[in-house]
Amino acid sequence: MTPDSNTQGSRRQFIKAVTAGSVAGVTGLAGCVGDPGEAGNGEDLDDFDTVTLGILEPFTGEFAELGEERHKGNEVGIEWVNESDEYDFEFEYETFDTQTSAAAASREAEEAIQDYGADFLTGSINSSAALAVADVADSNGVVYTPGAADISITGSNCSEYVFRFETNTAQMTEVMAQWVNDELGDQIFYHYADYVYGESVRDEFEARMESLSDSYENVGETTSDEGSTDFDAFITQIQNNADDADALVVGMTGADLAIFLQQAGERDLQDDIPIVTTTGSFTPVRGGAGLQAVGTYTGVRYSHELETGDNQEFVDAYEDMHDELPDNFSRVGFESIRMVATGIQEAGSRDPDVVKDTLNDLEHETIFGTNRFRECDGQAENPVWMGELVEPEDGGDVTEVTFDLMELDGQEAIPDCEDTGCDR
Amino acid sequence: MVAGVIQQLLDGLTLGVVYVLLAAGLSVIFGVMHVINFAHGELFALGAYFALALIAPFGGTAFFAALIVAPLIVGVIGVAIERYTVQPLYGRNPLYHILLTFGLVLVINDLIYLIWGPGASSLARPDVISGTVSVLGLGVGVYNVFIIVAGSLMAFGVWASLEYTRYGLIIRAGSQDRQMVRNLGINIDRYYSLVFGMGAALAAFAGIILAGTRQVNPEMGMSVIIPAFVIVVLGGLGSFKGAVAGGLLVGILQESILRPYFPFLEGMVIFLLMIGILLIRPQGLFGTEAPEDESGDLLTGSRGGFLDPQTRNRLGLAMILLLALVPLGAGTLYSTFIVTLMIEILIWGLFALSLDFIMGYTGLVSLGHALFYGLGAYVVAITIQDVTQSVIVAVALAIVISAAIAWFVGFLSIRVAGVYFAMITLAFAELFYNAIYRLDTIELFGEEREVTGGSEGIFGLDPFYGIAGIGVDLDSIGIFVGTTVLTGQLLFYYVALAALVVGFLLTRRMLQSPFGSVLKSIRENEQRATFLGYDTVVYKRRAFVISGALAGLSGGLYTLFTGRVFPDNAEWMVSGEVIVMVILGGMGTLYGPIIGSFTFFSLEHVLTGYTDRWRLVLGSIFVLFVIFLPRGLVSVPELLAPYLPGGPGPGPQTEPAPEDSSTGGGD
Repeated sequence: MTPDSNTQGSRRQFIKAVTAGSVAGVTGLAGCVGDPGEAGNGEDLDDFDTVTLGILEPFTGEFAELGEERHKGNEVGIEWVNESDEYDFEFEYETFDTQTSAAAASREAEEAIQDYGADFLTGSINSSAALAVADVADSNGVVYTPGAADISITGSNCSEYVFRFETNTAQMTEVMAQWVNDELGDQIFYHYADYVYGESVRDEFEARMESLSDSYENVGETTSDEGSTDFDAFITQIQNNADDADALVVGMTGADLAIFLQQAGERDLQDDIPIVTTTGSFTPVRGGAGLQAVGTYTGVRYSHELETGDNQEFVDAYEDMHDELPDNFSRVGFESIRMVATGIQEAGSRDPDVVKDTLNDLEHETIFGTNRFRECDGQAENPVWMGELVEPEDGGDVTEVTFDLMELDGQEAIPDCEDTGCDR
Repeated sequence: MVAGVIQQLLDGLTLGVVYVLLAAGLSVIFGVMHVINFAHGELFALGAYFALALIAPFGGTAFFAALIVAPLIVGVIGVAIERYTVQPLYGRNPLYHILLTFGLVLVINDLIYLIWGPGASSLARPDVISGTVSVLGLGVGVYNVFIIVAGSLMAFGVWASLEYTRYGLIIRAGSQDRQMVRNLGINIDRYYSLVFGMGAALAAFAGIILAGTRQVNPEMGMSVIIPAFVIVVLGGLGSFKGAVAGGLLVGILQESILRPYFPFLEGMVIFLLMIGILLIRPQGLFGTEAPEDESGDLLTGSRGGFLDPQTRNRLGLAMILLLALVPLGAGTLYSTFIVTLMIEILIWGLFALSLDFIMGYTGLVSLGHALFYGLGAYVVAITIQDVTQSVIVAVALAIVISAAIAWFVGFLSIRVAGVYFAMITLAFAELFYNAIYRLDTIELFGEEREVTGGSEGIFGLDPFYGIAGIGVDLDSIGIFVGTTVLTGQLLFYYVALAALVVGFLLTRRMLQSPFGSVLKSIRENEQRATFLGYDTVVYKRRAFVISGALAGLSGGLYTLFTGRVFPDNAEWMVSGEVIVMVILGGMGTLYGPIIGSFTFFSLEHVLTGYTDRWRLVLGSIFVLFVIFLPRGLVSVPELLAPYLPGGPGPGPQTEPAPEDSSTGGGD
């Protein structure tokens, strides 16, 4: 890190504004203005060996397990870039703990930018923290690759500095809605967690069902608070409405979903109504729910078994480093870093303003094959699958996930630019 | 339909029984020792984790053994906690127990993370208590039935031992009147460890049976502690019967009535009920008469100090000048982040000062100050988003609305004292926290308008420092000092510093006035103040309004500083953290809490650089402070004075000095 890299953030913005002549201008106490060129990052357009990366993950608190999983992917991505001849630079990085709160996440993001001098940020699992970090990144002019799936990050709250490799809820619900409408029916009961993510699952699924079926009906809804551990009362309500509905769509993730599936399995809810989830395929969810989750349908964002792109090379590198198989969050960490690296390499600059322009619509070879961050919203065009949680072949106590019920490619799954609500 | 209702009733009973076990221990511990045990939730979680560790090697069949062994282990831990941390605090105000056990929450919770790691795990159980059985055509979960039966048996066992054994008799007697038990020649203190251990074991038992259906995770303790307190307050602090009634009432209300039929009201009704009960019948449904007043004093740091007023004034002035220089070194001597961190310290310093004004000067411990901080933050955010970008208008509104809500909360709350006041303020804060989520958007003039933004919060604010178009935008002006450009946050630093200095001088002036003298007399002896003809309730309420207004201002500053606001800004941990800062620095001094804020954030910043388990260290430091240095950091020079060459002589005074430190200077 160079001392110059500390003088970023609002100061850089300000000097940019000074040079653009848009500032009201107040005469200084000492009246001495430094050379604006010194303060920005313009000096290293062609010649640099390192790029500073701030990794913001929830290393403590309720999302810590997922944060650690994503960070393992970050580590593989960094090593991949640093050891590859394709890139003329190396990443230097420091980790920052976003804890569980958006307030802590934004403070850590400020620290990463101002103290560590990061020009590129990556990380965060939960939508609230990712939205907070995205806001900090936007106002400080650094590139950020978040991990959360909430639609608004590349929708109504999008930013020209934010690029997301995580598959968002709109993409996920596209395949789910098509499959549910084809196979189960159009009378839907919803249960979702009452926060950004849960609400976006309901909204997105509903929007797609409305366009797919004229007779679609929202039969009823129940909502639980984020972090709930007690779903008995909701399960009873769902059972009471099961006769009127063709499927139950669950908008929850993480421990909430694992516990819900466990309690639902205990009460044989799958026998009363098919359960369709967005994230049932995640390892922590399957691990938490155990065999009670057998028979649950789920959208699939990623599987280590995929033969797309260079996924198997990633899986090997991941296993070499961590002695385990990658899952959704680790692939997001890995590819977010690799795609940003490709953007930096292509731009020949580590200036976030230059890199962000280069990243738009740049074609990358990824674990999903050829992919890009769309210019209109910064969202990656990821393929999506529909699958089911089934009994493990080896007789263990964790379900296995299939992804063969339906597949949509990246362009089929992603909403049209004009429908995203993003104005970048 | 009938089947559905029966099922809902069963759901309610299942949760209710677990609540009964959880609340019974909490309630009896309070009844006998007057200890408000915030760590009870963590003992509940520890039970589940020990069971997990015991069951893992043997599989589900070990479940029943774990149900006995794990509570015993947690019981022993409970005894140790009582012996080594709670015991040194007997004779002090029970509010110190809240503070101590709050520190223990941080310690135990981080130990759980350290030993068992993050993430949820399933607790394996034998097949005999899994699956469903058909009863009258209704599919009933066997495990739910097991929870109801096992929980009821355990509760019955505890009741019987309290009712029919000699130990139980003494404990019940102690819960009603400790002094009388002592007068009868029984050393009630010896029973304290036993009661604490038993309460811990009961919590552990509840933790295990609940974990069987909800998994074991490190946050499980946090999720039950607030409902547990509500139940204890509803039923009556210290009453076993009350814990049973309260637990079943809340369980059934939550699961069988609110969730299925009035989901919008869930999270509100319980706290409204708690406030109602505290106002109408503070001792709860089944509590004994008036709460026994064995409370010791709150130990303030305001014992004169060892600096004369003039030196202190000079020191305070020097500190302000030094603080004013901080932004000038940004980007050269240190990174800009230091200024960002200092802004947060100044804002929280003001927030802590606001709490100290009520806690350190009238002895009212508010566990709900996050309400005013969050309110100020949201009022500023909503005003800038929907009404006007003017910071002056937004901040003025934040102060006025916070003061008005503080008057209302104070009007209802100040009629109860001590622990009851702490609980009622907690309830108000939780109501507000819930309302933030509920008031995501409202429909106004046929148009959907965003209010709080729900869980997303509000961000991307663009404040304007002025009114009616006359003023500045901090991001687009700059003051050049040498090579440093003061703009944006570097300029906002001076806004925060000015607010803190004005807040400090204002409260100090108030405390020097006759109004302040009455406040201090209330803290020293409220009864005497009443005898002198002062309506102490009115004085306390006024102090609460001032405190609420300042807390609202600090919350508003936070929004201006970050340009965003989230529900996290109003959660109960915020109230806990600000109390930690006041105690760390030293309450009743005004400048102590500012030092507390500085210490808290500096420690957090330094520790997070070394370990993810920084809460463990912070919690431990806090526990040690409560036990060994209850007057806070400001008392350190006083304690060291006799040992320093040229010090003022003999040890600390035992009587409060007539000249309060608040009449001196500060920073």
